[in-house]
Amino acid sequence: MKPPKSAAPGRLLTQVAGERRTGALIVGGPPGGTVYLVEGLVTYAESAAAPGVGELLTASGRLAPRTWQAALDAGTSHATVGRLLLEQGHITQGEMELCVLGATYDAAYFALSPVSAPVDFLDGATHWLGELVRVDPAAVTRESRRRGRLLDEIFPYPQIDTAAVIPATRPPRERITLTAPQWELLVHADGQRTPADLAQLLGRAGYATIQELRRLAAAGLIELPAPRERAGKPEFVRLPRARGTAVDVQRPAPGGPDGPTVPIVTSPRPGLASGDPPPQQRQPDPATANGTAYRAPRLARRKPGAKLPREVAADTAHVHPGTDEVLLKRIRTALRALR
Amino acid sequence: MPGVENCLQEAMAIPGAIGASIVDYTTGFAIATSGAAPNEDHEAAAAGTADVVQAAQSRSLFVSAVPHDLLEDLIITTAGGYHLLRLVQTDFDSRLVLYVWLDRIRGNLAVARRRMQSLADELITT
Repeated sequence: MKPPKSAAPGRLLTQVAGERRTGALIVGGPPGGTVYLVEGLVTYAESAAAPGVGELLTASGRLAPRTWQAALDAGTSHATVGRLLLEQGHITQGEMELCVLGATYDAAYFALSPVSAPVDFLDGATHWLGELVRVDPAAVTRESRRRGRLLDEIFPYPQIDTAAVIPATRPPRERITLTAPQWELLVHADGQRTPADLAQLLGRAGYATIQELRRLAAAGLIELPAPRERAGKPEFVRLPRARGTAVDVQRPAPGGPDGPTVPIVTSPRPGLASGDPPPQQRQPDPATANGTAYRAPRLARRKPGAKLPREVAADTAHVHPGTDEVLLKRIRTALRALR
Repeated sequence: MPGVENCLQEAMAIPGAIGASIVDYTTGFAIATSGAAPNEDHEAAAAGTADVVQAAQSRSLFVSAVPHDLLEDLIITTAGGYHLLRLVQTDFDSRLVLYVWLDRIRGNLAVARRRMQSLADELITT
């Protein structure tokens, strides 16, 4: 087999679909995903950022975890998990098709949206769920692109889709209106969970979750994650309010080299109403630090109770968003099935 | 066993039906279609359907007038036809609506509405 090469996942999908091949199109992450084809038609897709059929059905209580696990045990090796559930009358044909279609388009969005990613095609691979629906790959790619555009129409800030969700502690207006899904997201956002974690936890579609989060961000109800370039800087995460107050006391004030080095409380920082620290605020830092004799330590001294600096904390957190939650859920499902 | 295709076939059998589809109303995407669509454009029809459902569900106060109230269906009448939207309530997370476009003269609103109710129910119950 060829080593994975970087390419546009959508283009490879069109190619293998044109050749009417059967197998799995594997897209590297994060979040990555896999699109399964049978004779050039899409039968299923999965992604770490999108709850699969099993998570959707068990998280909602539609299927008992042990029922799902029993179908997995019996049907995985023959790729008949879906058919078993239908034959045993646990779920109707309509429900199953709707659930599979929803999960497929949801996961396909995450698998196909990267402009370029490591992709590979595994000939002959099929999914253990079995073939329940067949979808035109052109419709899948078109819909994935359209969903990407829809998000940018709501609020063009793609970092929201992957970063940990931090609710704004003080709403920007006197009166706010939330939909039920938005409330659910805010209540479960603990400052650590990423959108993928929340989707898995709540058993809600990954795309729908991101859609609501973009709306919440547009309304100023969640904090905007820092742009990617600043991810390597020592920065404290998950402190209750504006991060400006949590920096090391020895750090030179952003005002410049002549600025005061200690009184930090009055240093410029975003008003309490706006959710994010402006990116330009700390950019002068490296320059000033290098230019003066005093140099702020790379790893600032931790205050008691403060969390790890982001560069340490981010080491594992951003590799596979949602993996822990998925793993925990699988373990829980397996344990419940034993009872 | 009624599947999605079967459900749409039955919907097209409603007297006066011109087109039918099942639409995800968060994304405005038709996951299955049958028959014709207004302006021959199923995608635009799905997007419009989604707008209407969202307006009724989140931007208006109709649904929150009584506690635990639930949006069931939306009916739009035009000089030429009826547009019926029936929400499909699944236990798992989905946001789907069954859409049927009826001819004004051949269609019967009451019959169609009843039929759609049973179709949406049959889709998710045994």
